[in-house]
Amino acid sequence: MLELDGISKSFAEEGGGAQRSLFRGVSLRLEPGQSVAIMGESGVGKSTLLHCIAGLETIDGGRIALGGVELAGLAEEAFAKVRRERYGFVFQAFHILPHLTLAQNVALPLWLLGVAREPAAERAHGMLVRVGLGDRANEWPRRLSGGELQRVAIARALVHRPALVLADEPTGNLDPERAGSVLELLLEGVREASAMAIVVTHSRQAAARADRVLRLVRDGLVEEAGSS
Amino acid sequence: MRGYGSRWPGVLRIVTLALWCCAPLGDTANARAQGTQAGAGAIFPPVVEGRALAFPADTGAHPDFRTEWWYATGWLADDEGGERGFQVTFFRVRTGIGEDNPSRFAPRQLILAHAALADPAEGRLLHAERSARALEPLAGAGTGRTDARIDDWTLKLETGGADGTDRYRTRVRADAFAFDLELAAHSAPILNGRAGYSQKAPDPVNASYYYSRPQLAVTGEIELRGTRRAVRGHAWLDHEWSSELMPAGAQGWDWIGINLHDGGALMAFRMRDAAGQALWAGGTLGVETGEARILTPEEVRFQPARHWRSARTGAEYPIAWQLEIAGRQFELRALMDDQELDSRGSTGAVYWEGAVRLFEHGREVGQGYLEMTGYADRLRM
Amino acid sequence: MSGLAPGAGRAALGSIFLASLRQRRMATLLSLVAIALGVALGLAVQLIQSSALDEFGRGMRRLAGEADLQVLGSRGGFDDTLYLTLAQMPEVEAASPVLEIEARLPGHESNLRVLGIDLFRVAQVQPALLPQVRAERDNARDRLAALRPDAIFLSPAARVALRTEDGELLRVQSGLEEAGLQVAGSIAAAGVGERFAVMDLGAAQQLFGRIGTLTRIDLRLAPGVERREAEARIAARLPPGVAALAPEDSAAQSAGLSRAYRVNLAMLAAIALLTGAFLVFSTQLLSVVRRRQEFALLRALGLDRRVLLRGLLAEGAFVGLVGGVLGVVLGYGLTALAFRVVGADLGAGYFRGVSPELRFQPLVSFAYLMLGVVAGVAGAALPAREATRIAPARALHAGDEMEILQARPRTAAALGCLMLAGLACLLPPWQGVPVAGYAAVAFLLAAAVLLLPGATRWAMGGLAGRRGVLAELAQARLVAAPGQVVVAGAGVVASVALAVSMAIMVHSFRLSVDDWLRTMLPADLYLRASSSAASGHFDAPSVARVAAVAGVAAVREIRFETLRLSARHPPVTLIARPLSGGAGLPLVEPGDFPRDGLTDRPPVWVSEAMADLFALGPGDFLKLPLGGLAHEFRVAGVWRDYARQHGAVALELEDYRRLSGDGRSNDLAVEFVAGADPARISTAIAALFEPGRIELASPGEIRALSLAIFDRTFFITWLMEAVAILIGLFGIATTFAALSISRTKEFGMLRHLGMVRSQIGRLLAHEGALTAAIGVALGCVAGGAVALVLIRVINRQSFHWSMDVAIPVGLIAGFAGLLVVLAALAARASGAAAMRGSAVQAVREDW
Repeated sequence: MLELDGISKSFAEEGGGAQRSLFRGVSLRLEPGQSVAIMGESGVGKSTLLHCIAGLETIDGGRIALGGVELAGLAEEAFAKVRRERYGFVFQAFHILPHLTLAQNVALPLWLLGVAREPAAERAHGMLVRVGLGDRANEWPRRLSGGELQRVAIARALVHRPALVLADEPTGNLDPERAGSVLELLLEGVREASAMAIVVTHSRQAAARADRVLRLVRDGLVEEAGSS
Repeated sequence: MRGYGSRWPGVLRIVTLALWCCAPLGDTANARAQGTQAGAGAIFPPVVEGRALAFPADTGAHPDFRTEWWYATGWLADDEGGERGFQVTFFRVRTGIGEDNPSRFAPRQLILAHAALADPAEGRLLHAERSARALEPLAGAGTGRTDARIDDWTLKLETGGADGTDRYRTRVRADAFAFDLELAAHSAPILNGRAGYSQKAPDPVNASYYYSRPQLAVTGEIELRGTRRAVRGHAWLDHEWSSELMPAGAQGWDWIGINLHDGGALMAFRMRDAAGQALWAGGTLGVETGEARILTPEEVRFQPARHWRSARTGAEYPIAWQLEIAGRQFELRALMDDQELDSRGSTGAVYWEGAVRLFEHGREVGQGYLEMTGYADRLRM
Repeated sequence: MSGLAPGAGRAALGSIFLASLRQRRMATLLSLVAIALGVALGLAVQLIQSSALDEFGRGMRRLAGEADLQVLGSRGGFDDTLYLTLAQMPEVEAASPVLEIEARLPGHESNLRVLGIDLFRVAQVQPALLPQVRAERDNARDRLAALRPDAIFLSPAARVALRTEDGELLRVQSGLEEAGLQVAGSIAAAGVGERFAVMDLGAAQQLFGRIGTLTRIDLRLAPGVERREAEARIAARLPPGVAALAPEDSAAQSAGLSRAYRVNLAMLAAIALLTGAFLVFSTQLLSVVRRRQEFALLRALGLDRRVLLRGLLAEGAFVGLVGGVLGVVLGYGLTALAFRVVGADLGAGYFRGVSPELRFQPLVSFAYLMLGVVAGVAGAALPAREATRIAPARALHAGDEMEILQARPRTAAALGCLMLAGLACLLPPWQGVPVAGYAAVAFLLAAAVLLLPGATRWAMGGLAGRRGVLAELAQARLVAAPGQVVVAGAGVVASVALAVSMAIMVHSFRLSVDDWLRTMLPADLYLRASSSAASGHFDAPSVARVAAVAGVAAVREIRFETLRLSARHPPVTLIARPLSGGAGLPLVEPGDFPRDGLTDRPPVWVSEAMADLFALGPGDFLKLPLGGLAHEFRVAGVWRDYARQHGAVALELEDYRRLSGDGRSNDLAVEFVAGADPARISTAIAALFEPGRIELASPGEIRALSLAIFDRTFFITWLMEAVAILIGLFGIATTFAALSISRTKEFGMLRHLGMVRSQIGRLLAHEGALTAAIGVALGCVAGGAVALVLIRVINRQSFHWSMDVAIPVGLIAGFAGLLVVLAALAARASGAAAMRGSAVQAVREDW
C-alpha cells in the first residue's frame, strides 16, 4: 500500500531566493492492484510529483509510505535501493539502451538486484513473451518502432515484480491507436502482479484506463470530474 | 687570374710584416752593436763598417741578419709609347722563432713580396702582395745568388751572360696585372754609403749593407687587365740587409732612386722625425763610368713643393719636391698623383711609392722611383 | 531543397560550427593540447637538429673556407711532404696544410680541438681560421705573435668554455708531458659555438710530437682547370689511406653520422602529431554524434550538405591552427630549454663542440603550423563525411548514434597491412636511412588499429563468464559499440605499441651493451692517456713502469687510430691490442672460412658496421694503409661494436706495430695477480704519473659511465614516449567526456532504476579500463612486432649493429597495468559532468 500524506513541494524562483509553492497537501492512498492516472495543467508539477514519490526529488513536507515503510527523508543510497527493489519506471522517451539487446534491457533491473545472468535472462525472456516480443529477445533496439520500444520498457518496469510502477506520459510519443494497447498492457501487468501504478498523462483517453483519475492542482489531488 | 692580395682579410694584419722597403726592424732604442737578441737563442749579427761585399755571392740572401730585401723599380714603355712604372720587392725576415724546431714548417724565415704597376690610365696604383714562411721549394731566398720566390712570384739572378752582364728575371702574377721582365745590368753594383755600409741615423748601429744596381735594361712583357704588351725600359735594383735599421723617434723616410738620362744614377734618402724634420740623410750620385760620389747628410736636402691628399686614407703626401743634392737644384714630379699603396687590408701599412721624373733647370734629366713612408701613421715594424 | 546563400553559409559557419567548439571547451582544449604537443615536439626536434646541423655544417664550411678539395687522411695523419708535392702541382692554386690535434687539457673534462696552421696559407684558403692577436698595452701588437711556439688562439666559444682570458696560460698535454701555451688572441671569424684553437703549424708539430705529419691539406684549384681531371690527377699523387674530398662531402660524411638518429627522432614527433590527429578525430566524431539531431534539423531547414561539410572541416582546421600556433611557440620554448639543459645533440653526443643559437626559422615554423592544420582537418574529415550522410528524417530516433559507433572488423585490411609490413622489412635502406623499416612500423600500427574492432568483439566474448551488472553493462556497451573502443583506443594502441617497442628495444640494447662492455673490458684496471683522438699517449718506458708495480700480473697496450679506407666512407677506427686470435672480442661471426693458401696474411676482425659498409665477411681480404703503405689482411671474424658507427677494425698489436712503426698506445689494460688489493695497486700506479696526466678506471666505472651515457642518449626518447602516452590518455578522456554527455539520458534512466552515482562512475571506469585494456593488449602485441622491426631492421640498417632481444616483462606489465588504471580514472573523471546532472533533468525529452 502506498500512502501519500500532505506532500508539499516548492522551488526557488529563477533569479531570486524566494520559494514558490508548486503544490501542497497532496494525499493519496493506493492499494495493491490499483492504478491511478494523474492529469493536470502543464507546469502544475505532475512529473515533479512522480519524482518526489521516486525519491529523485526531495519533498518539503508530508510523508510517503510504501507498504507501511516511511520513505520521505531516506538517504539517497537508501532510496536508490528502494527504487531498485520496489519501483518500476516507464518514460515518455522509452530510454531503452541501444547497446543492449531487448532481453538485456529487460534484464537490467534484475542485474541491478544481483540476479544471476541465466535466471535474469529467463525472467526477462518471459516478460518479453508477455509483451509480445518473445521472438525478438536477442535483437537490438534500433529497428523497433516506438510502440515496440515502449513494450520493452513495460517489460523492464515489471520484470523484477515492483510494488509501484511510475509512468510519466508513457504514451506521449505514441500514436493514439498504439497508445491504448500499450497502456493496457502496462495496467494489466500491474494488476496481475498486484502492484500499484501511477500514470501521469495528458490524455483523457489514456487516463480513463486507470482505476481512478485524479487531477493535480496547487492544493492537492482532486477527483477528475466525470471520471467514474 | 686570381691573386692573393684581395682575399686577405683584415685579420692578417697581425701577421704583420709591415716590412717594406727600407723598413727597419724592431726597437732600436736598445740596439747593441754586438747584435740583438729576439726570440730564443737568435743572435742577429750587427752591421759593421769595413766588411767587403763580394759579388755575386752577396747578391744572395744573408739569412743570419734580421731583415733583407731586394727592391726593383723602373719605367716601362710599350710600342705605342705608353709609359708605366713597376715595382717588385722581396723581403726576407728572420723571426728568431723556432730555430730549434726540427719541423719543416718552423717559421724561422719569412718571405714577403710586394708588386705594383703604375699606369696613368688607371689613375691609381695596382698592387698585390704575398707572404709565406720560407719552405723549400715553395718559398725562400737562396744564398750565393739572388733567388727569392714565393710560389710563382720570383726574382732571380740568372747568371752573368757571356758578355759579362748580370741578368735578373722577375715574374709576378696578380689579379689585375702580371709581369715577366728581364733586367740586365751592364755595370758593376754601386756600393752605397761607405763601401756598402750605409748609415741610417746618427747612431752607427742603425745601418745596413746596401748596394744598388741602377740603369738596368728591361725587356719583357706585362699583362694589364688581361691585355699583354711587350715592354722595354730601365730599372733600378736595391739590395739591402740589416739587423737594426730604423732609429728611435723616426716617423718615416723619403727615398729616391733615379736613372739619369746621361747614364748616371742618383740615390738619396732622408729619415724624418715626427715633426717632419730630417734626422739623417744620405745618398749616392753615380756617373756612367761607374764611379760614385757618396753624399753626406749635409749634401742631401728634400723640400716639398706640392701636396696631394689621399681620399682613401686622408694622408697627405708631397708629390713634387725641390731637391738640393750636392749643390745642384732638382725638381721631382710624379708620373701620376695617386701612387699610394694602401695595404691596410693586409700588412697594415700605408705609403706612397711611385714613378717620378727628375728635372734640372726645367729639363727632364732622369726617371725613377720615389718612396715616402710614415705620412699616414708612424711606420712600425 | 536548395542550399543557403553564401553569406548565410558564412554566418552558419560562425554561429553553428566554430561556436560549438566553445560549448565543448574541455574536448577542444585537449585536442588543442595534443596538436600543440605534436607540433611542438616535431618542430623542436627539427629546430634542434637543424640548428645543430646547420651550425655544424656552417662550422665545417667556415673552416673549409674557399677550399675546393680537402685532402684527408686518418687521425694519425700523413707525411707532410705530400703538401710540398701538391702545392707545386699546376692544378693547385693554393694549398693550406693543417695538423689537427685533439689536445688533452689537464684539469679539464673535454679535449680541445687544436688546429696547427700555416697562417700565410690559411689566409689564401680559409681566412676564417686566421688568429687575431690581442692588443698589448698602448695598443701595440706583437706582430710575430701568431708564429710564436707558445702562442695559442681560442675561438670565442672555446674561450668561454675554458674560462680563459687573453694572456693567460693554457696547459695542454702531449704524451704524458704538459706544456703551457699563452692565449695570445682569438679567432674572431669563428662561428658562434665553434670550440677550437689555432696555433702555428710548426709549433704544433713540435709540441705534440708530430714532426713531419699533417692531417689535412685544403686545396684551392687553379682557375680554368677542369675539376674532375684535376681531382683525378691529385688523387693519383695521394698515398694509401689519404683521400681528396670536396668539403661538402666531408661535411656530409660527418653529418651522416647522426642522420639515422635524427630520422628516428623526427619519426617520434610524427607519431605525436598523428596521435594528435587521432584525438581531433575522436572529439570531432563524438561532437558529430552529439549534434546529429541539430544537423538533421539544420538540413531540414535547408542547410546545404557542402556547407555542413565545410563547417565541420573548418572546426578541425581551427583547432589545428590554434594548436599549431601554440605548438610553434611551445616548440621554440622546448628548443631553447633543450639547448640549455641537454645540449644540441639531445644527449646523443653527435655534435660535440657545437652550441648553436636558436634562430627563428619562418619556413620550418610555417610548415609545422600547417602540419597542425592538416592534422586538425584530417581528424575532422571522416566525422564530417559521416555527418553529411545523416538522413534528416532518421536522425531524430534515439539510439541512432549507435550507427556511427559501429565499427566493422577489418580483418582483411589488417592482414594486408601485416603482409606489407613483412615485405617492407625485407627492403634495403635508402641512403643509409631505413625508410622501408619505418614504413613497416607504420603498417604494423595501422594493422593494430584495424584489428581493434575485431579484437574488442573477440575479447568481450571471452569475458562472457563475468558477473556483476556493471561488468555486464560495460561489456554490452563495448560489444555493441566497438567504434567507441576504436575512437578512444586507437591513440592508446599507437602510443602503447611505440612505448612497448621502444622499451623492448632499449632494454635489449642496454643488456647487449652491458654484455659487450664486459667482453671488451676483461682486465682489472684501465689506464688512459687520452681518448683515442687526443694528444696524450703512453710510450714504452711508461708501460714498463706500470708493469713493474707490485701486484701487476700483466699490462696490455691498446692503440686507437683511424684509417681512411675510401673517399666515399668516413674513416674507420683501428684498434690494435693483443687479441689472442680474436678470443677477446665479442664475435658474432667467428672466422669459419676455408683455409686456403693465403692464410699467411695477418688476421683482422671487423665490426658489424664495417662488415656492412664495406661488404666484408670472414675469409675476405682487406687492405689497410699502415705507415703510408697498403698492407693486405684477412678478415678472421666479425664482432659486435656499439661504439663506432662508421666501423672498426681490430688487429693484433704486434702486427700493427710491425707494419706501422707506431709504438705509442692510448690505453693500458692492467691485470692484477690473484688476491692483490686493487686500491693499493691503483694508488701505486697513479703515483707513477704526474697528477691529471692519465685517467685510471676500473671496468666497473667504465661500464657505469658508458651506461650513463647510454641512458642519457635515450632520455629524450623516453620523454617523447611519455608525451605520446599522455596524448593517448587524452584520447580516452575526451572520448569518455564526450560520450558521457551524449549518454546523459542513459545515466539518468539508470538512476531511475536504482543505480547510484558512484555506480555510474564505476561503470564508466569499467568501460575505460576495458577499452584501455584492449588497446594496451593490442598495443603490446603490436609493440613486440615493432620492437623486432626496430632491432632487426631499423637499428641494423641505421647503425649496423645487432643485439639480443630481451623483453622487460615486469616493466611492460607494470606500465600496462598503470595505463589501464589511468584510463579508468580518466574515463571516470571525464564522466563526472554527466553524473553531476540531475537524473530528473536527464530523462526529460526536451532538456
